[in-house]
Amino acid sequence: MSDAGRFLRILSQSAKAVRSYTLRTVFCLVSVAFGIASITLIVAATEGAYQKAFEIVARFGPDSLLVFGGGEEARATGRRQKTITLDDIDAVRDAFSTAYLVVPMTAMRDVPVSYRNRKYQSLVIGSTSDYSRVWTWPVVQGSDFTDDDVRGLRNVGLIGQFLASELFGDEDPVGKTILIKRIPVKIVGVLSERGTTPTGERLDDRVIIPISTIMRKLQNETTYVSAMRIRFLDRENLYAHVEELRTFLRARHKLPTEEPDDFTTVSPREITKFLVALTGSLVAFLGITGVIALVVAGFVIANLFLLSVRERTQEIGIRRAAGAKRRDIMFQFLGESVLITTLGGLAGFALAFASSKLLTSVAEFPIHFSSKAFVVGMVLSWAVGIGFGLQPANRAANLKPIEAIKG
Amino acid sequence: MPICILEDIKKTYRMGDIDVMVLRGVNLLVERGEFIAIMGASGSGKTTLVNIIGCLDVPTSGRYILADREVSRLSDDELSVIRNEHIGFVFQNFYLLPYATVLENVLLPSLYVEKSKDDFVKRAHDLLAIVGLRERTKFKPSQLSGGEQQRVAIARALINDPDIILTDEPTGQLDSKTAGEIMDLLVQMHDRGKTIILITHDPNVAKYANRIVTMKDGVIV
Repeated sequence: MSDAGRFLRILSQSAKAVRSYTLRTVFCLVSVAFGIASITLIVAATEGAYQKAFEIVARFGPDSLLVFGGGEEARATGRRQKTITLDDIDAVRDAFSTAYLVVPMTAMRDVPVSYRNRKYQSLVIGSTSDYSRVWTWPVVQGSDFTDDDVRGLRNVGLIGQFLASELFGDEDPVGKTILIKRIPVKIVGVLSERGTTPTGERLDDRVIIPISTIMRKLQNETTYVSAMRIRFLDRENLYAHVEELRTFLRARHKLPTEEPDDFTTVSPREITKFLVALTGSLVAFLGITGVIALVVAGFVIANLFLLSVRERTQEIGIRRAAGAKRRDIMFQFLGESVLITTLGGLAGFALAFASSKLLTSVAEFPIHFSSKAFVVGMVLSWAVGIGFGLQPANRAANLKPIEAIKG
Repeated sequence: MPICILEDIKKTYRMGDIDVMVLRGVNLLVERGEFIAIMGASGSGKTTLVNIIGCLDVPTSGRYILADREVSRLSDDELSVIRNEHIGFVFQNFYLLPYATVLENVLLPSLYVEKSKDDFVKRAHDLLAIVGLRERTKFKPSQLSGGEQQRVAIARALINDPDIILTDEPTGQLDSKTAGEIMDLLVQMHDRGKTIILITHDPNVAKYANRIVTMKDGVIV
């Protein structure tokens, strides 16, 4: 019989003790389960946030930038400054040779939109015929509007699926004319369904019309737009382009060095950051509870095992008399604590899984369970089992046989 | 050839600031297949002597040769192996594991065997038949009487086929009728060729042995 055989025989003794000392097992198991549950949930939530972020980045284009008018501060206080001009956009198009799409956009929120007697407040965006391409947002019914439509200030538009069903119900919107404020706009196409943003904004509640139309007919504006979206051929240089673009626009806007930017660039990195920060509050809360719960669990284990060692002195004595070495006793007790924390870890994982179902049902929260969350949970369980089981196991192993036999 | 040779065994315990000499030079020779009783009042040092013979403790000085091997200076791990291979213990309080079955209790010493190809489970069943507990293999110790528990302990002591059965007051917890049955069982084991070293203060128990030695004040008189 090999060493592995001996180890397995001792582990089976641990398993018997775990089964027999039920109360100790239950207490230790439950306390570990709570700690592991919250930590597993953290890992799953963080992963969920990142995954969601990558999904969004992938959908909106990992090679693209969005530049808004107004600095970070202005945006944070809710003011939208218009600082980007149509000339800026033409200049960017000329200066950046790898920018294969540079598309202006102007947005108006809560604009009254109606079809016959149905009314709705919606987002109206002015853009070019490249809008659907630059957002990788295909037109699924009808067709896109054209460059001629933009040049001719025509009253045509694309509609999002949510708004389409609000205004048209089951009717086909293509070819119908809606009113945006008092301007009739003919719907030429319907955009594919996009769902909601992580903050709960409906993406499919919008109308897209030519930028020339919105500026002249709805805004009485000739120069400024809200934003521009740029896609680059060389996505590996994206963050270099962010800096180049910043210098370029600062120079065009003639900003002195001490002045902050009067525009904000949103790159895939910002999207990821934002989403992860959104998850951050939950992570912090669960992180603290998780760590506290695990430490408490550790002390519960250490104490119950020390009691157990005292109570089972005679068992240790007879095992030593029968030929158990110190390390056999050590392995047995460590085996007991690790078996219990392993079970606790599995229970914690199940608990986390159940509570994540609850979390996602009350709020749309991205939680993603992967083997990573499982591995982190298991490794932590073992760490607690070994870390806090070590001292009691050591005490058991160091009992002198003659003292232990006496009881 | 003797199985145990003890030469001038001394054992000193440190109690606070003073050294107490519990064994003051014990000389003892136990032949293979002998049934020997060591008698003595409490405080005579007989328990300390048993611990040394059983390799649970080492002497302060002197030589102890067990089965042709000097064991008085071995490490803790080496002593564990010696106990496992050469000595079967039967204690006054039985010391069965409360959460293990009769069969699992008998198998306990076999868990710690270094190298063996024996079929211990079959052997355990055979031993339980010999001690008269063939039908009780799945019982827990708490379901057994004191006498039955001690029979389990005897089967456990025999599972690794040791050279010596070392037993300290095996009948101390039993009524006289059950005590007689347990002593008969030990005699039966002796008849099968085992060396038995019995420690007792009770002359009625000691009389089962072939030879009686008496300890007094840390020496054999």
